[in-house]
Amino acid sequence: MDSSKVIHAFYTDEEVLLDAVKAVKSEHHHIEEVFCPFPVHGLDKAMGLAPTKLAITAFMYGLIGLGFSIWMTNYMMIVDWPQDIGGKPSFSWIENMPAFVPIMFELTVFFAAHLMVITFYMRSRIWPFKDAENPDPRTTDDHFLMEIPVQNNEEELTSLLCKTGAVEINVVDKH
Amino acid sequence: MSHYEASIREPLVLGDKSYHDITEDIARPIEGKANKNWYIAFYISLAAMLWGFGCIFYTVGTGIGVWGLNKNIGWAWDITNFVWWVGIGHAGTLISAVLLLFRQKWRMAINRSAEAMTIFAVFQAGLFPIIHMGRPWNAYWVLPIPNQFGSLWVNFNSPLLWDVFAISTYLSVSLVFWWTGLLPDFAMIRDRAVKPFQKKIYSLLSFGWSGRAKDWQRFEEVSLVLAGLATPLVLSVHTIVSMDFATSINPGWHSTIFPPYFVAGAIFSGFAMVQTLMGIMRKVTNMEDYITRMHVEYMNIVIILTGGIVAVAYATEFFIAWYTGSPYENYTYLSVGAATGPYAWAFYSLLFFNILTPQILWFKKIRRSFIASFIISIFINIGMWFERFDIIAIVLSKGHLPSTWWRFEPTFVDVGIFIGTIGFFFVLFLLYARTFPVIAQAEVKTILKSSGEFYKKRSEQGIPTKPAIVVLNTADKKKDSDNNLNG
Amino acid sequence: MYQFSGRLKTFSKALIFIGLIGIAFSFYNGSKKTLEDANHIIEAVHNDGHENGHAQVKDSHVEEMKHDDHASQDDDHVSKEIKAEPHNDDHAEHVLHQLQNRPWSAFYVALFFSLGLSLLVLTFYAIQRVALVGWSVVILRVMEAITANLLPTSIIMVVLLVASVMHLNHLFPWMAEGIFDPESDKYDAIIDGKSWWMNSTGFIVRSIAYLLIWNAYRFFIRKGSIKEDTANDSNKTYKNNYNMSVVFLFLFMITESMMSWDWIMGLDPHWFSTLFGWYVLATLLVSAITVIAFVTIYLRSKGAIPGVNDSHIHDLAKFMFGFSVFWTYLWFAQFMLIWYADIPEETTYFVARFTEYKLPFIGMVFMNFVFPILLLLNSDFKSKPWFVFIGGTVILIGHYIDIFVMIMPSTVGAQWSFGIPEISAIFFFVGLFIYTTFSAFARANPIAKGNPFLQESEHYHYYNIEHTGEGSGDHH
Repeated sequence: MDSSKVIHAFYTDEEVLLDAVKAVKSEHHHIEEVFCPFPVHGLDKAMGLAPTKLAITAFMYGLIGLGFSIWMTNYMMIVDWPQDIGGKPSFSWIENMPAFVPIMFELTVFFAAHLMVITFYMRSRIWPFKDAENPDPRTTDDHFLMEIPVQNNEEELTSLLCKTGAVEINVVDKH
Repeated sequence: MSHYEASIREPLVLGDKSYHDITEDIARPIEGKANKNWYIAFYISLAAMLWGFGCIFYTVGTGIGVWGLNKNIGWAWDITNFVWWVGIGHAGTLISAVLLLFRQKWRMAINRSAEAMTIFAVFQAGLFPIIHMGRPWNAYWVLPIPNQFGSLWVNFNSPLLWDVFAISTYLSVSLVFWWTGLLPDFAMIRDRAVKPFQKKIYSLLSFGWSGRAKDWQRFEEVSLVLAGLATPLVLSVHTIVSMDFATSINPGWHSTIFPPYFVAGAIFSGFAMVQTLMGIMRKVTNMEDYITRMHVEYMNIVIILTGGIVAVAYATEFFIAWYTGSPYENYTYLSVGAATGPYAWAFYSLLFFNILTPQILWFKKIRRSFIASFIISIFINIGMWFERFDIIAIVLSKGHLPSTWWRFEPTFVDVGIFIGTIGFFFVLFLLYARTFPVIAQAEVKTILKSSGEFYKKRSEQGIPTKPAIVVLNTADKKKDSDNNLNG
Repeated sequence: MYQFSGRLKTFSKALIFIGLIGIAFSFYNGSKKTLEDANHIIEAVHNDGHENGHAQVKDSHVEEMKHDDHASQDDDHVSKEIKAEPHNDDHAEHVLHQLQNRPWSAFYVALFFSLGLSLLVLTFYAIQRVALVGWSVVILRVMEAITANLLPTSIIMVVLLVASVMHLNHLFPWMAEGIFDPESDKYDAIIDGKSWWMNSTGFIVRSIAYLLIWNAYRFFIRKGSIKEDTANDSNKTYKNNYNMSVVFLFLFMITESMMSWDWIMGLDPHWFSTLFGWYVLATLLVSAITVIAFVTIYLRSKGAIPGVNDSHIHDLAKFMFGFSVFWTYLWFAQFMLIWYADIPEETTYFVARFTEYKLPFIGMVFMNFVFPILLLLNSDFKSKPWFVFIGGTVILIGHYIDIFVMIMPSTVGAQWSFGIPEISAIFFFVGLFIYTTFSAFARANPIAKGNPFLQESEHYHYYNIEHTGEGSGDHH
């Protein structure tokens, strides 16, 4: 089946790769994926990837953590079992608030950091016992791999990619 | 995208290195065999660790009475060691988070190991309060669990409970930050592993990291946000540790400067420990091209800076203690009373190791010398231990009533547990150095073109970092094959 | 070269002029106050207190008598005060001093703020040199220009401190007569115990020493920096400037804390807090960076500093954000530890601020923490001059209020308000700031073109943002 065929173009330099991505994009070809051994600034924009919203989720998670800590300190110290500790009676949350700020801060950070990382792992599909999906082991060493789906334009794509400085071009059947 | 960097900056990666060379260099210690020195160091550490564990079992089986604590000094070596270890832990997060926010490229060679150090140091720190509980199997009572489990609600007014929250948040967030950064490097080891067992292990550790463009975009965002969260977090941890003392009404402990001063001291001691570890590691793992003189000098500059902040804090403590006009302030750890009393030796040790020794680093020659930096870093480690010991033991040894004046003598159990934690720490670190990529190779690759010696020399001659494009012959390499080696 | 435009110059001169008139008027008004006025106020408070319950009166009176509340021989004296006899002469005199202090304090708040933020701009500048910072080189001259404000404010500060020592005002209670005299009924044993530190000669000598050190660095570094432009001596001048900055930072760390003890903590001679020096530092540092951002945004909009792009604004805003958090951290650390331990010697400071200054005190915590956090957290907002301007305005007002509540409760107590004395002092110092800054900026090349990191700064592009503002066309 032609539609499951993809071209793998390899590059060994991130600046060459970036220019290649721009060239392929300007010819209106769809880039399925680029595998990189290290982050390349500007690649996401060149590929037309939407900005990530993980930072916003972290902010939301932080707010949840803050809310939870306020509820928890209020429930445990004020509502359920108020005590007079060290001359600071627990009859009002707001009057004891300075003592709860460290807890509020820690839980805000705890929720924001862990839930954001979990979200990242889920969205990028990385977790223990997950198998790697990079098509070539060299892409974690020093090779960059651009994957372009072939739609009856194999020749055109190959000649374009050759001009962009690819060091190796393979046409592969994708399962 | 520009790889320009001012020529006045010294290179951070020495030699004529390609991306692949970096991969090889980082993977070598993991794939190779350990040498004799490693085994000697490991067995010594292991012996110390086992001795420490023995002392811990003895303490738990017999009771806290086997320590040198007495009726007035109810906190001594245990909390000294606790604060010392937590403080050491701070440099790792500082290097990975704060220096990331400040875009310091030199952090990339040392952040991995510094973070490992953080995590291992916090393990040691956590041991002390748990042992001091006397019944460590009830340690879970510090968690906010409902009354049916045997305790009332925990007391959120107590700085000791803040510690529980701060340190567990710090440990877990540091771990996650560290591990997320490790994923691409584990993937690198996985993809070049030849032994099936090794491949399996690193495949598991790398969580199936594939390095898609989107993954990297998220990875960078997550690193940045985690750095933004970890920076106030690391400050909060030692702030809260300092509040264990500062919320009290003890002269010498109740001081508003404690939070930032403890944080500065923690970074000071943490960097000293990083300097100690890197001094060993760069030799053992042959990372001389990545951990250069420049790195050592930068760390020494941070040590001078934080040491200076600590010195100003000492001066402030000394001055304000006098300024208050309260006679009790004359028995605090920084006072004339301490300098002339029975603990004068501890007082002068503190000044010598912590304030005088780092001043040698003002000389550029010393700052750039590996061996001098190594020795000074050990001195500072000792000095920072004395700082905590002085704050705790000297202050407690002279209370408001002369009848409560006692002195502290450590027993062999106190000493044994402390030595045991040092052994435990080095056992973990040595195992780490053999199995983990000790340098964040993916990150170092991003700065190779701007800060590598080879590229810097070329750019001075006006040669661009982008190589000339070699056009591939179409018929040459094109082949229809299933090249999906990773399955 | 930048030209200090006639309109801006006229504007700054007008501000100075209006400010001067207002200040003169306030001083004239203040000097007319008599014991009569003081008694009126005491009576009003007394009557008011009866309506609102007696406890409040007790509180405020104990607070006003803060310079008596420790010395044990004053115990019965205090209890007399609590009975709140309106015609007690001591008390009336105290209130009169507060009334007379008001124009002085209003002037002192604005002066300290203006001097302090110029000093911290100088420090931030020195840090740029010592830390080999690359991104900020294109705005080094902006920072240099702002530090021109240090000299005139220093001179005014010396005049004001000498006036205090000469008893022309009652800002510093320890300078009052009889404090060190065991025979006098105003004798204060605690202050006498620290006469080694709190004496007029030492105070003036120290103050002049701080100002000399700071101004000397500013003078030599400005010279060295301009020399760098044309030196072409394989960075010899540059390294010399580096060394100078290291020495300055070393001295600054020490003098800044001492300055805060002398000039601010000394207003409350019984009160102490070890953190105070660094707390003042944090306040001034946020304000300094905000001011750098403001001047940079203005000059960029005039096209005076080519090479400044959105990334530079972004970085300044990041520092505004970061140091706002840092300020909050120190504020909270100081407050919480004192609140928690609840020792009377220390809580006096916060009790005074929670009773008579509740609105500004709580309000400024919100302005300096919540507002910058919410506005400047987002990366995109940080590079938009408009957002930085709004956030910065709130930060500057917030930190002015912070200094206001550091000084006013000790000098004018309950007799505070915000009116002509305060506003005209602000006008005067803002006018002076604009005049000195922009005339200094016009006197040198707007770009430090001899700096070895200049190219790094011009190429600087923070990867997370898009350049859209002025100068966005010429980055690579």
